[in-house]
Amino acid sequence: MFSALAASRLVSGLCRVPWRQAAAGTLSVRGYRGDSPEDSGRDLIEIPLPPWQEKTGEPLDIKRRRLLYESRKRGMLENCILLSLFAKQYLNTMTEAQLQQYDKLINEPSNDWDIYYWATEAQPTPPDYQGEVMDMLQEFTKNREQEQRLRAPDLEYLDVAKQ
Amino acid sequence: MAAVCAASRVLTKRVLSSKALPAACAGSARNFHFSIYGQKDSAKVSSDISTQYPVVDHEFDAVVVGAGGAGLRAAFGLSEAGFNTACVTKLFPTRSHTVAAQGGINAALGNMEEDDWRWHFYDTVKGSDWLGDQDAIHYMTEQAPAAVVELENFGMPFSRTEDGRIYQRAFGGQSLKFGKGGQAHRCCCVADRTGHSLLHTLYGRSLRYDTSYFVEYFALDLLMEDGECRGVIALCMEDGSIHRFRAKNTVIATGGYGRTYFSCTSAHTSTGDGNAMVTRAGLPCQDLEFVQFHPTGIYGAGCLITEGCRGEGGILINSEGERFMERYAPNAKDLASRDVVSRSMTIEIREGRGVGPEKDHVYLQLHHLPPQQLATRLPGISETAMIFAGVDVTKEPIPVLPTVHYNMGGIPTNYKGQVITYKDGEDKVVPGLYACGEAGCASVHGANRLGANSLLDLVVFGRACALTIADICTPGEKLPPLKPNAGEESVANLDKMRYANGSTRTSEIRLNMQKTMQSHAAVFRTGSVLKEGCEKMDAIYQTMNDIKTFDRGIVWNTDLVETLELQNLMLNAVQTIHSAEARKESRGAHAREDFKDRMDEFDYSKPLQGQERKPFDQHWRKHTLSYVDPKTGKVTLEYRPVIDNSLSEEDCSAIPPAIRSY
Repeated sequence: MFSALAASRLVSGLCRVPWRQAAAGTLSVRGYRGDSPEDSGRDLIEIPLPPWQEKTGEPLDIKRRRLLYESRKRGMLENCILLSLFAKQYLNTMTEAQLQQYDKLINEPSNDWDIYYWATEAQPTPPDYQGEVMDMLQEFTKNREQEQRLRAPDLEYLDVAKQ
Repeated sequence: MAAVCAASRVLTKRVLSSKALPAACAGSARNFHFSIYGQKDSAKVSSDISTQYPVVDHEFDAVVVGAGGAGLRAAFGLSEAGFNTACVTKLFPTRSHTVAAQGGINAALGNMEEDDWRWHFYDTVKGSDWLGDQDAIHYMTEQAPAAVVELENFGMPFSRTEDGRIYQRAFGGQSLKFGKGGQAHRCCCVADRTGHSLLHTLYGRSLRYDTSYFVEYFALDLLMEDGECRGVIALCMEDGSIHRFRAKNTVIATGGYGRTYFSCTSAHTSTGDGNAMVTRAGLPCQDLEFVQFHPTGIYGAGCLITEGCRGEGGILINSEGERFMERYAPNAKDLASRDVVSRSMTIEIREGRGVGPEKDHVYLQLHHLPPQQLATRLPGISETAMIFAGVDVTKEPIPVLPTVHYNMGGIPTNYKGQVITYKDGEDKVVPGLYACGEAGCASVHGANRLGANSLLDLVVFGRACALTIADICTPGEKLPPLKPNAGEESVANLDKMRYANGSTRTSEIRLNMQKTMQSHAAVFRTGSVLKEGCEKMDAIYQTMNDIKTFDRGIVWNTDLVETLELQNLMLNAVQTIHSAEARKESRGAHAREDFKDRMDEFDYSKPLQGQERKPFDQHWRKHTLSYVDPKTGKVTLEYRPVIDNSLSEEDCSAIPPAIRSY
């Protein structure tokens, strides 16, 4: 059983290489680099992680609950703020297809910074993540209303009893 | 994320169904129901079924809590040494806060100029303001070059110089020749994604060794018996089941607790869960009053404006347009260490030279730099400033404020990563318990951490935990017994929080705590303000008894998890502020207005000859050990001497205390 698992890991790792190379090619516009040379992105190509797999058979309400948690608990502050606010605004009204897109967008990329750079349009979004939900996120990130975006919203907005 | 979830579940099942496992474990695969008694004061809302939680037992040689840089390094080090290892984490590994580290990792490789790890040792001891344990600092700085080379061998693609060596950049606080040789270039990086590359590399590497991952499991408590740690108990968020991980060795790598404060650069997940677990186990935390503030968080949001900005020539400006760092640190200026910069900024604000309508922050000016340099060297900064502060950095300065960035304190360990207590004048190891990373306190950072020493801390002490365990244990050792009801209290607490129906919302209590900590225990500290803060925090602690949650579900209950996180934050917060109130001196990141000087055993600003050594209870060059009674919130403080010897005087002379200036 384990060898089968290892094999599937390897195969899926290989399958993802083209995307990884594509991603590595766009690593030029980033944060602080000092005088350091370009990022080779070699680790992303040479050290494959197990591929992300969509959860199958997950009821929609459970998916929403999971995505709420995963929107609020990010690796970095900026995404904690952006995605938690985005989830507050859109998660409960997203269609099933949109939820799937959103799930893939926030869970598949291994680097939270990538998601942030795509949302802020500092880097082009790879084709895999383009679509309705990314459009919504990019629009949301522009913060046209100039709201103060200081932290994740208090969760009690979900409390039906409060409303 | 789901993939590894699924993979870990497959692995787990594989483990559970393996015939090689002891009978006890195989037998426990049946669902065992925990019944909760004596905690039914909220019984009116809970039905019979809902107060029952299926418990799944696992047995491992070692369990690691947390899957950031330190947890991953410990986990795969253990797996590599043949230990059957579980890694329990509330976040998928690449969602760990380590990903946010863009700076780099210090090691005296000497690629840019002649360098020596003893100079790195000197800088770190000095940076710690002589509160760091020198044996641990010796260990870390001596191991640093090997640690970086090891990471490189694992596949971490460090940025390189034109002739192919690992490129090293300048970072604040790093000098050559024991502070006399000018700025050192010691920080190795993977462009600007060192943290991500570290996580990616370590996680990828660990998969070779068959570590069992339990992803999106929230660790509740340590399983302690007879003064030994025998594993952890955790909640599987996906289905609400309770998992007991019995293990001979438990490694805590849960990160910091920045979220105790209102303005902080860490992700919302930095809630000090490991520190709180240790506290609830009746063990001490060490030096929690030492909280590093990053000088330049965006005012309000806390988003980090990297120190690299000042490395590139960015300067801090007060309301008079003055580059004030020239006054505070004539040599290093804007590149002085973080506490010096944060403190200088705060003095400017307090003396009325702050900017903005409330004169409560200062400016970081970048627009004197060529736009081309901004675009190529600091592009991320422009976006962050625009999105969260609405500022165009090519035209306007960025409003910034010292913001919580790193917790020097944590779970006290020796340089081998073993958790210790201090009894009868000596350090005592807690059997079976280890800590590393930001959660641990070895203490290499002492009263203040230097930039790019934290990623080093992660890998060196993550590895040290694994090495120590491999040294004193062998894979497959018989596990010590565990009471059948072990962990019952943790589940009772979980149930109580799930149905809590008091009158104060989780978010309300959290905000009260964060604002109180921000106004009473931030960069500038003084007796009256701290005392008032302690009283307020003690009162806020009591409001936890009146908490109200709203989500009664058990599957993906974010409300419940954030409430459990708040309990953890609260334990960290009361220890932090009480420790700060008690420490009547200024040292490193702990700056008291009413006790402006460092209080050592001698007055090191004068010749030592003829001075009498102050007794232990009359000076402050000692570690705080704090305990909390979780029921009442009462904090008890004890003290432990600083270790002033390096591991070997021959290889590396200990650095005697001196007045610290940059």
